[in-house]
Amino acid sequence: MSDDRYGFEDVPLDTIRPGTTVLLAGPSHAGTRELGLRLLAGREGEGAILVTTNRRSRRIAADCERAGLRLAADSTAILDCVGGEDSDVPAQVLPVSGPSDLTGIGMRYSDVHREFARSGIDRIRTGLFSLSTLLSFGDLKTVSRFVHTLVGRIDSLDGLGVLVVDPAIHDDATISTLSQFCAGRIDVREGDDGPELRARGLPSQSRDWRGFDLAWE
Amino acid sequence: MLLCVDSDAAARTATAETLRDAGFTVAEAATAGAARERFDDDLEGVVTEQTLSGGTGLELVADVRDAVPDTPCVLFTDVPVAEIDTAAFGDLVVEYVPKDAPNARSEVVDLLNHAVAFRDQTAYPLPENEEARLAALEQHAANPGELGESFDRLTELAAELFGVDAAAIGLIDTHEQRFLACHGVSLGPMDREDTICTYAILDDGVTVIEDTEEDPRFAENEGLEAANIRFYASAPIETGSGEAIGTFCVYDDEPRGFSARDRELLSLLGDEAMEQLTLRRRLREVDDE
Repeated sequence: MSDDRYGFEDVPLDTIRPGTTVLLAGPSHAGTRELGLRLLAGREGEGAILVTTNRRSRRIAADCERAGLRLAADSTAILDCVGGEDSDVPAQVLPVSGPSDLTGIGMRYSDVHREFARSGIDRIRTGLFSLSTLLSFGDLKTVSRFVHTLVGRIDSLDGLGVLVVDPAIHDDATISTLSQFCAGRIDVREGDDGPELRARGLPSQSRDWRGFDLAWE
Repeated sequence: MLLCVDSDAAARTATAETLRDAGFTVAEAATAGAARERFDDDLEGVVTEQTLSGGTGLELVADVRDAVPDTPCVLFTDVPVAEIDTAAFGDLVVEYVPKDAPNARSEVVDLLNHAVAFRDQTAYPLPENEEARLAALEQHAANPGELGESFDRLTELAAELFGVDAAAIGLIDTHEQRFLACHGVSLGPMDREDTICTYAILDDGVTVIEDTEEDPRFAENEGLEAANIRFYASAPIETGSGEAIGTFCVYDDEPRGFSARDRELLSLLGDEAMEQLTLRRRLREVDDE
């Protein structure tokens, strides 16, 4: 296992051990999605794989730019479950038939991960935007198997995983089950002075609520 | 045992040999039909080509998910991912390795080593102490049939005590829950992903599901519907060092509540079942000496 921990610029989080997947839980209006994209912004030479289930590639690419995540076709892939054939995106766009095709997402993911590794990119951050969409198209059991497999893959390859979910639209049992596959959880909420986050289950992280700034561009 | 399925004899032999060299026990099958004959509880993983005589790899994985759902599956194939129709099999979830990838067979070995060790294709979370839990289960459940009458009495008492339809005592092994005693219900072995107890052993103490149809984990569970179960409560059957090897469950056909005192009493019954298992284990140890 690599000791080279994943770091985050301009986000109040300590570094995270390679092989870790976190559940990023919060409402979209509080900046959860933007924070998720920001957590994928690594240093030069790292790669990123994004799974988009509810926004077209062009839109998520624009969101990435705003979050300070630099896109490049040789180090960024977007697994697009929405469709739209966007061709002007500065990343590899890989179509998947839809958010209910978890087999297709998993196979595409393995394929592009392998391609990046072959080209010398051995640190890859993975973001899933979002689990809530997968749960609206598939049952909890199937989504659980997908998440368990993805988390295992990220662990074995010393990657970093960020799985976004809006807890307000799912019951506690669903969120609790999905949390149990992940090494830790980052909660997001709208605070008095803007968005706030807190880490849970991640060693060396503060468990207190801390504000963060969405202005990363 | 790993099952290596490929209609190309040379490719199949090469894959099987690589897996054997890595320490796995491997069975080979040249067709989808022959592979299906090998599904059993000893199945640790499946490596299959997508193009098979008698079907496709994903069709075979669909059958694996029906028969032994926890099994790690790897599609190891000459067919590029873009040419595989995954939409019709969206709920399977498999690993994918193209045969022309560099060191492809080594990657298959790495994937299976990880998947077998960490069991990361299960559709449910595993307890953090799963390995120790299974070791404790093996120690305590060497001959569970010998406890039949004692446990039958306990389940009958439990159903009467709580005024419920049914009670059962079950042990949870690697892939299944097996019941040692049932009163008011007849339950055969159940896949772990289909039992409430799989989730209950992740909780501390007693688990209560007042209405199974209101819980997304169980709302579509056909086994519960067939057994007419709407209410569920269980206490862990837990070793002194905290490994929950099974559960003492009570069921009813109507949603209902369960008081704090009920929880205490059910917990006592779980402890009693554990003590019985422990005593039998000690007797076996004395006999062995």
